[in-house]
Amino acid sequence: MREPVLVTGIGVVSPFNPNGDREPFWESLCAGETAVGAIRSFDASAYPCRVAAEVDRESLQNGRAPADPALCMAERAFKRALEHAGIAPGNGAPRRAGIIVGTVLGGTASGERYLRARAHGAPGAAEALAQYPLRVAAGALAETAGFTGPVLTVSTACASGTDAIGLAYRRIASGTADIMVAGGVDAVCELSFSGFCALRALTPDRVRPFSRNRTGLALGEGAAFLVLEREGSARKRAARSLGLIAGYAARADAFHLTAPHRDGRGLAAAVKGALQDGAVGADEIDYVSAHGTGTPYNDRMETLALKTGLGARAARVPISSVKGALGHAFGAAGAIEAVVCLLAIRDGLVPPTANLEEPDPECDLDFVPGRARRVTVRTALTVSAGFGGQNAALVIRGCP
Amino acid sequence: MSAPIRILGVGSVGVPDATPAEADARAGRLRAVLTGLSADGVPARLIHGIEELAILAAHEALRQAGVPMPYRGDDLGVVLGVEEGIDGIKARYYQGILADGPLGASPLTFPLTTPNTIASRISILFDLRGETLTLGGGNVAGAQALGLAVRALRDGHAAMALAGGVTSVEPEFLEAASLVGPSQCGSPGGGACLFLLGGSGSAGSAGGEQVLGYGEGFGPNAMHDAVRACLEDAALSPDTIGVVRAAAVCDWPSAARALRRVGISANVTRSPSSGLCSASFPLAVAEAVEQPALGAHVPVLVVGSDCLAGAAAAVVQGGP
Repeated sequence: MREPVLVTGIGVVSPFNPNGDREPFWESLCAGETAVGAIRSFDASAYPCRVAAEVDRESLQNGRAPADPALCMAERAFKRALEHAGIAPGNGAPRRAGIIVGTVLGGTASGERYLRARAHGAPGAAEALAQYPLRVAAGALAETAGFTGPVLTVSTACASGTDAIGLAYRRIASGTADIMVAGGVDAVCELSFSGFCALRALTPDRVRPFSRNRTGLALGEGAAFLVLEREGSARKRAARSLGLIAGYAARADAFHLTAPHRDGRGLAAAVKGALQDGAVGADEIDYVSAHGTGTPYNDRMETLALKTGLGARAARVPISSVKGALGHAFGAAGAIEAVVCLLAIRDGLVPPTANLEEPDPECDLDFVPGRARRVTVRTALTVSAGFGGQNAALVIRGCP
Repeated sequence: MSAPIRILGVGSVGVPDATPAEADARAGRLRAVLTGLSADGVPARLIHGIEELAILAAHEALRQAGVPMPYRGDDLGVVLGVEEGIDGIKARYYQGILADGPLGASPLTFPLTTPNTIASRISILFDLRGETLTLGGGNVAGAQALGLAVRALRDGHAAMALAGGVTSVEPEFLEAASLVGPSQCGSPGGGACLFLLGGSGSAGSAGGEQVLGYGEGFGPNAMHDAVRACLEDAALSPDTIGVVRAAAVCDWPSAARALRRVGISANVTRSPSSGLCSASFPLAVAEAVEQPALGAHVPVLVVGSDCLAGAAAAVVQGGP
């Protein structure tokens, strides 16, 4: 029999809350604010697009030696999640506790620092290289917490954070772990910016998910982690439950390396799979946190995929994307959006799709334009899609 | 006891090739695979070296199992360990930007700077629509991929999974790694090893090779915990292990001590593929099941560890 998987802690760092305080993050999203602005972390003057949603990097360093921005954000969000769950680092039963980090770029910003130093004839910064590998964050966080269970780094493009949570959910549901901290992290860097610019996927100004006049995505950054816990473990600690992870599925488009399947074949299958996994009916979904990148292809594809995956329910459920506000934080995006679902369940409030001013007839679902909406959310769905045809969906429920 | 997982097919490829004729033969195999998949729209020249290794290994594993190609189903997924294998590509891509600014950014190379591209390329070429997961665990990335696939099959999340690891150890990686600390990877080279795994009830044309158990650990007792968990998973006592095969191991003396603490007294042999990082563990598993040192039914323990990602262990046995 499958164990219920409770969420007992949330940690999130975004451009709205570099210090990791949850409420400013949520208030800014629900107010329809946007963090997309001129890029500060590198010189983007030679590029045709020059905007991103960045975290205040100075506030991340805390006066210590330059550390990789992704690692700093991960450490902060992880610490906040453990605090929220009432878990002291090093405490508990470490052999049955683990971590799964979703990331696309890992410490690429540090790799860039090393290569820039070399290109200018300066000696390579070995300490920067030590923070470069994809797996650094997972190892560092597990070491901090004293976890000795599964320590994994999953990299499934923009679905990384969602897959990390989904895989951690399975560990607990199958009874092979008591506590799993799972989420994602990524930082804006020139390598990814230049690539998306070359692919003409970036907006020159604002991100307008599901709008007729959408012009592309903006890079974002951040970190988010959920503490997932076996019911028995949470009860033993008298931990408060914020909700449950009720279902997860991942499916591949098997179509193209950089473009989604036109009809959203993989995403629709992931949605159906997650509902089936959680024994949840489409009519039970009260809110969908969309991938909603603001690119012409994604938003049209996602609309079709939700129609296929949710059937008639797709036309009646509020759906919003936070990428107009936060940009696209790649490996962190899915985890941030899982946090959005939990806060929507908590407050009965769904955030708007920022910058959705001209509805696109091809994106003809209820994408919550304008302002946040009061809705009783008992069950939410969050979906992610990424390069290479990666698709993942999570079903999140409130506590009974 | 957890159910054993059947190995339905194995594909492994290594570079550099011993002779130019072998290199030509490998290039010919890639062209034949692409033509066979009606993937003529994907010219072989656009396939990077590390993708080629993974594609050839995947093709062989699927061929051995008699799986139709393209497959067109969502009950067969891909779980691949990839980490250092794309570092050379990323370094050269970024050096292009440093040299030429935005014009140095190649839209053809950029997708290969994301680790999941190799698994995605396999899913696209062979039309595998199940879960496609990429793990970055350094030397144990391939082991973690096998472990994740074993778990997914046992829990019924897939009917079959193509799982393993791939690497391409390039000069840029070796130079950078030498600045950080001692590395297992000594010289440029590459390799891929993928298994087609299925649940105990799955059909297939392969022999009786099986994964009996898998375990992992992290922290000061990582190897001890991984081996103990693996033996528990396989419901085996330490004295049933006939041979230990070591893939890449970051601290051999402490790993040897951990094996003794668990009660393993079997001979340990080092895999010749231990320098191939993410691919080293799956290659060591392939060696163990394809050339069983003490006979087909004697369980072999394969171990590996990474200084940042912990330790992994699997018990496997060869077929009749």
